[in-house]
Amino acid sequence: MAEFSESPKDRPSEISELPDESQNSVSDFDPCTMRKTKPGLKRLFLTLTVLFSFFLGSPFLLKSIEIYRSPLPFRDIDSLSDSVGSSPLLFPCHFQAIFVGFDNFDAYDLGISIKHEMKKLTKHPVCGTCSDSNYTLSVTVDSGSGCARNYNAESTFMWRCGAIGEFDLGGGGDDDGVDEFLGSVLGSCEGFRKVYSVVVVNRGGEVRAVVGKYRHAWIVGGVLEEGMNAVVARVAETFVKVFVNGGKEEGSIHGEFMPVGADGRIVLSFNLLNADPTDWIYGWDFQRIDEILLAPVIKALGPVANISVESQVLYHTPKSSFSYWDEKWDSYIFSTKDLPFFVNSNEWHLDTSIAAGGRSKILQFVVYIPSAKECPLLLQLPNGEISVTNAFISPMWGGVAVWNPPGCLRDSESKHPARHTISPQDLQEVFEIFMGQLRQLFGLKSDSLYVGASGTTNLLASERGFTEWELDVLSRQHTCFNLVSCATTLGSLSRLVQSLPRMIIMDEIGKQVKFSLEAAKLTRSNASLGIYDASAVSSRQARSLAEDAFFHPSIMSVSYYSFEHCFAVYSPFFLPVSMHVLLAAFREWRRYKQETAKYLAWKEKAKVAAS
Amino acid sequence: MAAVLRFLIAVLLFSSIATASLSQEEEEFSEELLLKPLADRKVLAHFHFESKAPPTRTYGHHHRLFPKALYQLVQKFRIREMELSFTQGRWNYERWGGFDPISSSNAKPPGVELWAVFDVPHDLVDASWKNLTHTLSGLFCASINFLESSTAYSAPDWGFQPFSGSLRYGSLPREAVCTENLTPWLKLLPCRDKAGLATLMDRPSIYRGFYHSQRLRLSSTEFGSTEVESGIALDQTLTVVLQPTTSHRASMTYSSDSVLQPSWSLSSIFGRKVSGRCVLANSSNVYVQVERGLMSELKILHAEDEGSGADNLTFEKTWNNPGFELSIAPNRVIKEVNILHDETSIVLYEYLIDNYSNSEPFDLGFTWKFPVVWSSPQAPLHASRFLMGSGNERGAIAISLKATEPSDGLWFADTIENSCMLRFNVFQVVPWYVRVYFHTLQVFVDGKPQSVTDFIERMRISPSEDKVSPGVMEMALKLPCCVKSVTLTLEFDKGFLHIDEYPPDANQGFDIPSAVISFPDFHASMHFLKDDSLNKSPLLSKFQIPRRLVGLVSCYPSCLLS
Repeated sequence: MAEFSESPKDRPSEISELPDESQNSVSDFDPCTMRKTKPGLKRLFLTLTVLFSFFLGSPFLLKSIEIYRSPLPFRDIDSLSDSVGSSPLLFPCHFQAIFVGFDNFDAYDLGISIKHEMKKLTKHPVCGTCSDSNYTLSVTVDSGSGCARNYNAESTFMWRCGAIGEFDLGGGGDDDGVDEFLGSVLGSCEGFRKVYSVVVVNRGGEVRAVVGKYRHAWIVGGVLEEGMNAVVARVAETFVKVFVNGGKEEGSIHGEFMPVGADGRIVLSFNLLNADPTDWIYGWDFQRIDEILLAPVIKALGPVANISVESQVLYHTPKSSFSYWDEKWDSYIFSTKDLPFFVNSNEWHLDTSIAAGGRSKILQFVVYIPSAKECPLLLQLPNGEISVTNAFISPMWGGVAVWNPPGCLRDSESKHPARHTISPQDLQEVFEIFMGQLRQLFGLKSDSLYVGASGTTNLLASERGFTEWELDVLSRQHTCFNLVSCATTLGSLSRLVQSLPRMIIMDEIGKQVKFSLEAAKLTRSNASLGIYDASAVSSRQARSLAEDAFFHPSIMSVSYYSFEHCFAVYSPFFLPVSMHVLLAAFREWRRYKQETAKYLAWKEKAKVAAS
Repeated sequence: MAAVLRFLIAVLLFSSIATASLSQEEEEFSEELLLKPLADRKVLAHFHFESKAPPTRTYGHHHRLFPKALYQLVQKFRIREMELSFTQGRWNYERWGGFDPISSSNAKPPGVELWAVFDVPHDLVDASWKNLTHTLSGLFCASINFLESSTAYSAPDWGFQPFSGSLRYGSLPREAVCTENLTPWLKLLPCRDKAGLATLMDRPSIYRGFYHSQRLRLSSTEFGSTEVESGIALDQTLTVVLQPTTSHRASMTYSSDSVLQPSWSLSSIFGRKVSGRCVLANSSNVYVQVERGLMSELKILHAEDEGSGADNLTFEKTWNNPGFELSIAPNRVIKEVNILHDETSIVLYEYLIDNYSNSEPFDLGFTWKFPVVWSSPQAPLHASRFLMGSGNERGAIAISLKATEPSDGLWFADTIENSCMLRFNVFQVVPWYVRVYFHTLQVFVDGKPQSVTDFIERMRISPSEDKVSPGVMEMALKLPCCVKSVTLTLEFDKGFLHIDEYPPDANQGFDIPSAVISFPDFHASMHFLKDDSLNKSPLLSKFQIPRRLVGLVSCYPSCLLS
C-alpha cells in the first residue's frame, strides 16, 4: 500500500534533518533496522478507529435486517396436540331408563346390569362419544304407586312417578302422538342437561321399539317374554348405538369426510336441469322451498355449519351416458354401473359459487328433468330393481334426483313449449329425497329403521330433517373432528415455523393462532360440561382460525430468507470494504510493531554507544 | 341546437319506454341480431342478448334465467355499472361509420377494457376493484387480474363518463382474445350456443373477421342509489365485421371502375343457419339495416330506373329493389323517423325467428344487383395518435384530430349563430414507464401553435408515480367550428423497467392504452315511430337511447424501452 511504501523513503530525510546530533554515530546507524524517533500512534489509531466503528455498526446492521416474527405460543400448541392425540375427546352423557310394569325388579340391580352391558358395547371409546367414566345412568322402576330408584338418581332429571300408565303409550299406530306426549312428560324435567331416556313398558303383546324426535325412545310390549337380560341388552344398545353413535353402521362415512368446509361453511347449490327445453320447460318456486323447507333445516344445523343456499335453472343439459328402453318397466332404464357417467361436466355448468368463500364446501343438488326422448327415466339398482327415490348421491359432491314430468307428454308439436312449474307436491317429494341425501352426506341413516343385535328399532323423522338426538351426535362428532383438525393444523404450523428460523411471521398470524387456541380451550371446557352446541360452534371457530393462520397469504408468498440468502444479499456490500479495513488494521499494527522494534534497537545501540 | 332538439325528443321517447317496462316483475331474456352491409364490401353482424332480473327486494334471489354467477358478482361487489369488453382488431371509423349507435357503444379498444362503478364507500372502491378483477379473470379465462395492480387502472373524474363517482377504469391492450373468452361468455346465456341466434357463432368464422368485439355490460339499481328500482340488466353483445367470400359472379364489372359488392347469406358468412329461436327468449329477431347513405344512392338509382320520380314511400318499403334483393320477405319494415332531412332515412327489415325450425332453417340471403358506392356517417372529428421523436429520450406523443367532411349537415347546423363551437373531451391513460411531461402540452390549431388556455376549457391531470400509478389526463376542449385540424402534443421520457416488469416478448414494445375522445354535444341515436311492438325489441330501444358519441384512438405506439 502507498503509505507503507513511503516509509523507507522518509527515512533519509529524517536523518538529514538531524545531521549534527548523530554525527558521531552515523557510521553504525543502519536506517533499515533502526530509527531514532518513537513511532507515532496516529496512523494506528485511525485505522483502529475505522475498524472499531465497523464492529460497533454491526449490531445496528443486524438489528436492521432482523426479520419480524410474532411470538407463537409453541408450548400451548404442543400441549393441545398432545392432549388431543393421547386421549379422544369424550363428552359427559346422561342416561335415564324408566321401567313401567316391572314391579318386582330392583332399580339398583338393573342399573348395574345396564352399565355392564353398555361397557361391553363401548370397548374402544371413539372420539366424540361418551366416556364410560363420566356418564350417569339413572334407573327408575315405576310401579304406579311409587318409584324405586338406583343410588345416583339425581334430582335434576327426576322422573315424575306415575306420569304414564301402562296403556298411555298407544298401540303402535300413533307414534308421533306418543312422541309428543313423552316429550311433554320428559321435557319438563330435562333442565339444561341433555338426558337420553328409554321408557320400557311391559304390558304384553308384540314388542315395539321406537326412537322419537327428541331425546327419548320407548320399548312397548311383552318384553319380559324374552327374559330380563334381553330387555337390559336392548336398553343398553339403544343408549350406545343409537343415542351415542347415531345409529350408524360400520363402514358409513367417517369424520374425515365431513362435508363442512375448513371455514365452517357449506353452500347448498340447488340446480334444476332441463335436459332439452324444446320438449318442455320446467321451473320451480324455489323461494318458497327456501323459506318453508330449507330454512328450518339450516337453523337446526346452525351449530354444526354455517349454511347458505343458492339456486339456478339450467337448460340444454343432457346427461352424458345413454339409457335403454325396457319393455318390462315401460320406461327408459339407467343402470347403476353407468352412474359415474351420469353427471355431464361439460354441459352442466354447476359453477363454483362466487358467493362461497375460498374454503367453503359446496354441495350440489341436481334435479334432472329428462328430455322427451328418454322419458320416463328410471334408475336401476344392481339387483335389477328400480330405485324408489330415483336418485343417487356422490359423497362430498352432492346428490342427483331424476324427476320425470307427469305423463311424459309433450306439448303437442308446437315449436314454443309452454312454461310449467313443478307442482308443490312433486317438489316437496324431491326435496324430501334431497333431505335424505343430505343426511347421508352427513353420515346419518336415510331410512327410518335401525337394525341392531337385539332387534329392530323404528326411528321417527323430524320435519326439520334432523332429530334432536341426531343433531347432538353431529355436534359431538364435528366438535371432535374440528378439534383434531385444528390441533394437527396448528401442530404443522408450529413445526413449519420452528424449522424455518428466518421466516417472517406477521402479527395477524400470531393473533389467529392465539384466538384459535382460545377457541379450542373453550371447546374443551364446553365439552366437559356437556354443552354440545356451544362446543361445536367454538370448535368450528378454532378450526377455521387455525386454517386461516396456516394459509395466510404472507406465509404462502414469502421466500423464506434463509441465512444463506441473507449472506448472499449483504456480502457484496460489506465484504470488499471490510476486507480492506481488516487488512489495513492488521498491516498498520504490524508496521507499528516493526517500527517500535527499530526504535528499541536504536535506543539499545545508543545506550551502548553512550556507555 | 339541432343536437339538443334531437336529444330532447329522444329523451321523451325513452321515458315513455321506461315507464312502460317498469310495471312487470318477471325475468326476461331476448336475443337479436343486426346485419348491416358496410361501405367497404364487408358485413357487420351485431348480436345482442339481454337478460333482466327484477329487484331482489321484491323478487328474491333465486332466478330462472338470469345467470347466477353474475347475480352473485353484482351482490358481492355492489356493482352499480360495469362493462367488460374483449376486442380483436380496430374499428375503422372512416369506413364503418363513426356516428351511429353501434359504433359509439360497440367500438372498443383492442384487448380487454373494463370499467366499473361501485356502490361502496370511497375508501373501499379500490379493494372492490381488485377483488372484482380477480373474479372476472376466473370467470372469463383472461388475465384481467393484471388490472389489479395500481399501475394498471385509474379513477377518471369526468373525462371518461360524466358524473362518474366511484368509477375505475383499466385496459389491457395486449390481451389476446379467443374462444376461451367466448365460451364463458356464452355460458351466461340460458341457451348458450345450443339454440337460437347464438348457434351462428361458428368459432372459425367469427374469429376470421376484421373486427371482433365481445362485450358485457351490467347495470343494477339494487343498492338504492336511484329512486326507480328496475333490478339488474345484463347486456351481452358480440360485434363482428366479416368479409363475405366473393363468388365468381361478383367479379364481373358493371361500369369501368365500380365492382359489384359481394352478395352474402347467413350460411355463407357464418357457415351455419338459424334453426329456430332459443325457447326461453321473449323475442328473437333478426334485422337488416340499410344505411342512410346507401338508401339515398339507391333512390337515385331508382329514380334513374323509373325515369320519373316514383313514390318514395313505396320504394323504401320494398325489399327487392334495383340495388339489392333480400331472399326472404321481411316480417316488417321499420323506417327511422328523420327529424332534420326528410329525403332519406335508415331502413330496418325485421325477421321473426319464431316461425323457423330445424326442418326449415332461417338462412337470409342478401344479393347485390347493381354496384353502389356510398359512405357511412362520420363523427365530427377524425382522430389519430402517433409517436414522435427518436431514441430513448425525448419522445413525444401526439393526438391529431381532423375535421371530417360534414356528412349529414348536422355538424354545421349551428353556424347560424356566430359562435359555433365544437366541444370534445379527451381521456388518456399513460403507463408510468412513459413519463409524460404535462407542462410540455402544446396545441396546434390548423398547423400553428396556439396558447393552450385558449382552447382548453377544463383539464384534470394526475401525474404518474413510478411503479405506483399511471398518468391520467382528462381534457375538455372547445374549438370554433371553422377549425380544420387540431394536434395535441406531449413530450415524454421512457422510464427504466426492472427485469421482471417486462412483458413476454418485450421486443414487440409496449402498447399504450387507447385514448377516448367523446363529444358531449353529439348523441348518436335513431328514432322510430312510437309503436308498442317496437318497444319489445331491446336492441332498437337501445338505439333510441341517445348515447354520447365516443371515439377511440388506438394506434400502437411501440416504445422500446431499455
